[in-house]
Amino acid sequence: MANLLASLISSAGTLEAYGRVLETAQNNVANASTPGYAKQRTELYALPFDPQGGATGGVRAGKMESSRNEYAETAVRQQNTAMSYQQQLVDSLTPLQNQFDISGNQGIPAALNSLFQSFSAWATTPNNTATRQTVLDRAQQVAAAFQQSATALGYQATNAEQQVRQTVDEVNHLVGQLAHYNHIALQGNKDDAGLSAQMHATLEQLSQYVDVTATFQDDGSVTVLMNGETPLLLEDKQYQISAGLTQPQDPPPNYPNGPAAMQILGSDGTDITSKSTGGQLGALLQMRNQVLPSFIGNAYQQGDLNTMAQQFADRVNQILTSGNISDGPPAVTGVPLFTYDATNGTAVARSLAVDPTVTTDQLATISPGPPYVSNGVPLALSQLATPLQDADKISGISYNEYYGRLAGRVGGQLNDATDGQQVQQSLLAQAQDLRQQYSGVSLDEEATILLQFQQAYQANSRFITVLDQLTQATIDILQR
Amino acid sequence: MHAASIVEHLARVRSQLDQAGERLTSPSTDALDSCTEDLASAVRQLAQWQPLLVAEAGNPAALEEAWRVRRSFQRVRALLHGAAGFHANWMRIRGTMSAGYTASGEPGPVRYGSRVCLQA
Repeated sequence: MANLLASLISSAGTLEAYGRVLETAQNNVANASTPGYAKQRTELYALPFDPQGGATGGVRAGKMESSRNEYAETAVRQQNTAMSYQQQLVDSLTPLQNQFDISGNQGIPAALNSLFQSFSAWATTPNNTATRQTVLDRAQQVAAAFQQSATALGYQATNAEQQVRQTVDEVNHLVGQLAHYNHIALQGNKDDAGLSAQMHATLEQLSQYVDVTATFQDDGSVTVLMNGETPLLLEDKQYQISAGLTQPQDPPPNYPNGPAAMQILGSDGTDITSKSTGGQLGALLQMRNQVLPSFIGNAYQQGDLNTMAQQFADRVNQILTSGNISDGPPAVTGVPLFTYDATNGTAVARSLAVDPTVTTDQLATISPGPPYVSNGVPLALSQLATPLQDADKISGISYNEYYGRLAGRVGGQLNDATDGQQVQQSLLAQAQDLRQQYSGVSLDEEATILLQFQQAYQANSRFITVLDQLTQATIDILQR
Repeated sequence: MHAASIVEHLARVRSQLDQAGERLTSPSTDALDSCTEDLASAVRQLAQWQPLLVAEAGNPAALEEAWRVRRSFQRVRALLHGAAGFHANWMRIRGTMSAGYTASGEPGPVRYGSRVCLQA
């Protein structure tokens, strides 16, 4: 009698398992064109059959394949986050690169070259009023070029700030949608494939903006963490993040009036900026808090554009004030040409100007020496183009070279981001392909594939090591 | 060696690497086998021409192409590591799900026996 009952129970369990297989097939057909829907399969596992020991055999439905599907989904989201990061960097660095013209035909390098030429012309005809006026005009062009560059970079910082805020809003919006889906799931709809598809599609969208970790619970809800630790969603409770500006105080800032940094806060007010490194948000923060401040400054750095503007203005003023306008007696010393906001080191480039009270007669020409040189000042100024002494250089190089380095830095970052974006696009395509490849494969088939793959990978990895050395050696030889 | 020929040669190597990269975006085992052939060919060609490169040192066109080859290689490497990482991680997860952890804390071996699979 006991055996008969056991057999009946086993049969009932088996029928239930087969019923689940049929339900799954029905669900697949119904959702064939649902966005985000992944084909589902029910894996059946043999149960031990030992009548004497009470094991009645039969089958049970397994969960491993759904775990694998979720793993594949996670892989796609991770690559999506990495791809969006690189894409956003390219989008942000491209307009920045356009600000740095290295052809010498416009912007700061063109204005500097024109000014250097006017210094040379002034040295040739030191007392010519028209030549002196040209010096004043060209100096104004240099000041205007610095102002325009600083303003344009400042505009990009503002733009990045707005984009950070929009991205944070979008993250909160998408997490809000997920909270709604969780609410539905918690009302007893955990097996709704359409709901699951919506959740996955939303998570994939969310992964463009931030690095998310999604864990599906037994009750059908999804728990979402940002960067693996900041909670965004638990059951149907959403934890909103926010963006704002902050002027750090610890350690004490070197430039208290410098541009403020952007800050991301968790729902409890914790600063999570340093952890927000992935996706579009990570790239925008990188631009706003790292890349742009390296040119226009922040609380802890002056910014290279300001450093260049200040050192150039100071050096020109120093040469002019060391000279004489007339021998006298008494000798009349020269006056400074450039002015800037000396109270804020991060505002030098945007406040650089030519002192409007300076006239052509006030430009010092005579270097009192020794040795006395009647056109010593314009000669010294013209040396700034191809400097020989350290005082005429900035960081050991000429002003033009220094500017070239700034432009090169942006160009290098953009190249890296473009390369990274192309690689990430391929990796995303690969992850999507793997997700697709495995969605219809049984676990037994998969076991065979995994073994084959392991062997194929080992074969390829040997060549990868050799190619790494060969391609690098090729470059090393050719660039000697 | 003519400057044009070294550039053309490097371009051919790059083309093979790009082909391998395209295959790896859909990393089936067949694709990986084909990829091995491409990589082996790229290695052979680069090794064969390596001693002759010294004469082209300083050639900007050749250097530019060499950088392109390097970038193509880096893409292939990233894709190969990406696919290998995907499978290796899943093997580990699957091992822990089916066999727990070993005494040393490693995922247990994947077990394949006693399973019935019905295609729905």
